[in-house]
Amino acid sequence: MGDVIDIADLAEQLRQVTVEVTDGGELLGSGLLWPQAFVVTNAHVVRRAEVNLRLVDGRLIRARVLARSVDADLALLGAAGTGLPSATPAEPDSVRVGSFVAAVGHPLGVRGALTTGIVCGVGPIDRSGRPWIQADLRLAPGNSGGPLADAAGRIVGLNSRAAGPLALAVPMGQVARFVQGSRV
Amino acid sequence: MNGLQSLSNDLAAAVERAGRAVFSVAGRPRLASTGVHWRPGLVVTADHTVHAEEEVTITGPDGRALTARVAGRDPTIDLAVLKVDAPGVPVADTADSEAVRVGHIVLALGAGPRASWGVVSSIGEGRRARGGATELLHLDLTLYPGFSGGPLVDVQGRVVGINTSGASRHWHLAIPASAVNRVVDELLRRGRIPRAYLGVSTQPVRLPEPLRQRLNLDQHTAVIVVEVQSGSPAAAAGMSIGDVIVALGASRITDPTDLKATLRPDRVGESITASVLRGGEPKELQVTVGERPRRG
Repeated sequence: MGDVIDIADLAEQLRQVTVEVTDGGELLGSGLLWPQAFVVTNAHVVRRAEVNLRLVDGRLIRARVLARSVDADLALLGAAGTGLPSATPAEPDSVRVGSFVAAVGHPLGVRGALTTGIVCGVGPIDRSGRPWIQADLRLAPGNSGGPLADAAGRIVGLNSRAAGPLALAVPMGQVARFVQGSRV
Repeated sequence: MNGLQSLSNDLAAAVERAGRAVFSVAGRPRLASTGVHWRPGLVVTADHTVHAEEEVTITGPDGRALTARVAGRDPTIDLAVLKVDAPGVPVADTADSEAVRVGHIVLALGAGPRASWGVVSSIGEGRRARGGATELLHLDLTLYPGFSGGPLVDVQGRVVGINTSGASRHWHLAIPASAVNRVVDELLRRGRIPRAYLGVSTQPVRLPEPLRQRLNLDQHTAVIVVEVQSGSPAAAAGMSIGDVIVALGASRITDPTDLKATLRPDRVGESITASVLRGGEPKELQVTVGERPRRG
């Protein structure tokens, strides 16, 4: 038989790069530490100019919203000086239907909760034509803006919402493009 | 590569392998279901998703739309067989469904392909699976809209069953590959799938406690005959209105659904013992399962 399947390691790795987005004690959602001192999250998580980020080590930092796209449901925040590692994005379009995925976030206020599943499909779910990574994986309010990662811990998408039992994540290619476009 | 990555690759490879034989079936308004190329030119799907009586449009994994003909149905296990000329679309690799065990990781596929995963949670312990009825696979996974009729796949990408959300309100189920083979073989042998027929109308009935104890019956309910069609197999066997059917062959009958599930197509022509209660006394009737007269 093959090697031992270790999901605990993967969970710990993802917790390191996942932040809690709060404001005045209210949990707004999750966020992801992005290379070069940024945090990405969903636009619907940050509806104000500044928010608090709670890091994995418990530190609270104030972060400014640098860019926000309601259409893409993405937002970019400045988060300098955390000293923490940032997430490793997967190659865009590397996602295979059936492959294992894991989500980390703060669903219903449960800090750093892990849920696992597989990629159900990639593409639009309605006439809008907007592509999603659809995952057979449980999400709840508080997961928004958190990472969806492959079995190697590389980020394949940003969890955005649930459609019944189906998780919908913004594909990594869109996140990368949004960050690129926002930094000009 | 760690164990999790290799499991992940295996699952994705299983979806790819099984997905080559998967069709989208436009057999009902709005929501297409899924079908599997089971034998050359024969696609199986869930019967409840095929409203059309004769022709249905199906789309192959290559995106080609084809016209398929409804070749036979077995509503007792929710299976329909479509005949289609589909050169270039491979036939699914099936595995021995008897080897499936509770706890095995399985994938459910929809056309696309799309996939969900979970485990087999029990085998044949449902109410539809007693005695001679088909042993269904109960699944702990999500069948997303349109997944009915699609393949249940093992981690090697082999098809072990056909999924259906239509057979039970409470469970997601799969018809094991062995039962699908039985129906398809019957179709190839006879050129059609016969509908087994007794010629009775029944209603559920509760068995009085004293009667249960006196006759040592462990079931609480059975069915009572409220109509016997003249000239039917039931009439020929001497069944009368008011008879309470408690068993058919080895299968206990606790409600009309059990009766339907027991009357599989391959039992047409078989002589089975009906255990009935008449005037509170047990009686055995020998009945030869007939074929439902066809319409028109």
